[in-house]
Amino acid sequence: MLLCDFHIHTKYSDGSLELRKVVDLFGQAGFDVIAITDHVVNGDSLIGKLAYKFRFTITENNFNEYMENLKYESKRAWEKYEMLVIPGIEISKNFLSSDNSAHILILDIKEFISACNSYEAIFLEAKKQNALVVACHPHHMKGEIRNTLYLWKNRHKYGKYIDAWEIANRDDVFNVVSLKKYPYIANSDFHKARHLYSWKTLLNCEKDKESIKTCIKHNKGVAITLFRR
Amino acid sequence: MLLYLILILLGLSFIIYFSQVMALRKKLKERIHENFTPPVSVIKPLKGLDDNLFDNLESFCRQNYPDYEVILSLENKNDPAYRVAEKIRNKYPDKVTIVIDNSNKALNPKIKNMMKAYRISKYDYFLISDSNVCVEHDYLRKTVSSMNEEVGLVTNLIVGTGGKSLGSILENLQLNSFIILSVCFLDKFLKMPCSIGKSMLMRKKDFEEIGGFSLVQDVLAEDYLIGKLMHEKGKKVVLSNYMIKNVNEYWSIKRFLNRHTRWAKIRWKIGGVKYFSEPLTNPVMIASIIPLFYAFSNLSLISLTLFALSVLIKTTGDYLVMKMIKQNPGKKILLSPLKDLLSGIIWFVPFLTSKVNWRGNLYLISENTILLPVMDSSLKRTYLKFKTLFSH
Repeated sequence: MLLCDFHIHTKYSDGSLELRKVVDLFGQAGFDVIAITDHVVNGDSLIGKLAYKFRFTITENNFNEYMENLKYESKRAWEKYEMLVIPGIEISKNFLSSDNSAHILILDIKEFISACNSYEAIFLEAKKQNALVVACHPHHMKGEIRNTLYLWKNRHKYGKYIDAWEIANRDDVFNVVSLKKYPYIANSDFHKARHLYSWKTLLNCEKDKESIKTCIKHNKGVAITLFRR
Repeated sequence: MLLYLILILLGLSFIIYFSQVMALRKKLKERIHENFTPPVSVIKPLKGLDDNLFDNLESFCRQNYPDYEVILSLENKNDPAYRVAEKIRNKYPDKVTIVIDNSNKALNPKIKNMMKAYRISKYDYFLISDSNVCVEHDYLRKTVSSMNEEVGLVTNLIVGTGGKSLGSILENLQLNSFIILSVCFLDKFLKMPCSIGKSMLMRKKDFEEIGGFSLVQDVLAEDYLIGKLMHEKGKKVVLSNYMIKNVNEYWSIKRFLNRHTRWAKIRWKIGGVKYFSEPLTNPVMIASIIPLFYAFSNLSLISLTLFALSVLIKTTGDYLVMKMIKQNPGKKILLSPLKDLLSGIIWFVPFLTSKVNWRGNLYLISENTILLPVMDSSLKRTYLKFKTLFSH
């Protein structure tokens, strides 16, 4: 089975390691598939404005550079480690209230998507790009002051657009996702080197983007594992 | 009176420190002749993920050496290192074999891991190499060259590289000063056999004559014992000056403390009373006693000056040592005094407990580092039962 992590941040947003170091860290640990998903933050809220000020976000201006570097690293990772690197972003709609906030992984992205767009517009644009949409940390997380509950609270409205839900994020497990029998994956939400040791996804499919997306969407041959040193 | 005594000890400590530096200089000047290249089996026991594991393993598959094999041995396929081992085997199928075996009863997990690999290894010469070392293309050629009929074991100097977290920076500073200097001092001036488990080359015939793995399967310091037995058998134990890299990138402080308390316990169990001379190799620790006693007396200025001066001399010395072994510590060298103070504290730990935690296994060590498994005490079990009961 393929050992995968689809939620990873680098210095392009608020991660602590450079893209190259992140790729090497996962490659050295024997991973088969990773997705780099730096934040694209909404600039229309106070928290969003701060993220822009401190450059904790991908913007329309540096998106192409981000994709170019991902392409380069993806080639290097494949040649050296036989590890697939999928380009992605984490749309981060941050507001003061947890009930209004949501984070969405867009995996295998091709064009920039703004986090200021409406949810429908974001989902439709992602579908147009044949990208995979994942609702991340959709429920309460231990020790977090601010959660991202909007998508879970509005799942009846938006569930049809979401290809998978994070059932586990780093050390948290969201049993509500399993109770609803939604398609699931588990990720590290990697920001620091120690986050390597966290929940991960195992996929029973071929090591190419389309097979991986299909496997997650159909939720067949998916397992989760707590990755330890 | 006390101040004079401390000053004498401090002076002695610096004399020993600079003797160690001299020993390293002498060791590095030794020449290596590269004309002996018998086929070699490289055995690499794996357990868990080491920093840089992929590159570490790959560096052994890219040796500029005529005939050799690499055997990666693991206890089970659930080990996270197995995926990395598989990728390496897929990349170098002609060189690499993976062995999975958990059937041996050895208490030393490294020995337990290697026994089957040793049995299936093809060649008369075998090299035990830890998973956390990375080598250059000429490693095998230069290490094997030190082997001849009189030699029973060839081992290598280790240097720490790649520190990216505080724990790994301290680890590398410790390896690149105290450890490398002590090893060279024992080898060059005290003529004691030094064998370092991270890289040990032997002839199977010699190894089996001293008792093989069955003799060392229940001791923690198997490297020390193998070296000692080789020496007693009349075979030379050679410390090659070819330096291998121990890559430590993302260590936590806890891991650093765990490794060095374990090594301190080993040294205490092996050295006995000789262990009491060890603080003399740490001038910063001795100098720290001065302000401890005199910082609030009328000698406060002198005591602090002496301490600062000692720290400055030792840190500069460590910096030069690292330059000698081709490491550039940069600003990280400023953590050297902290490392020395921590190792001073670590020195006391073996007197408090004999328990060691090695890659997830808990043991009690007795004389000569003989291992005894640690069971949960009934008191601890009762406490945990109550804790569980009340948490519900």
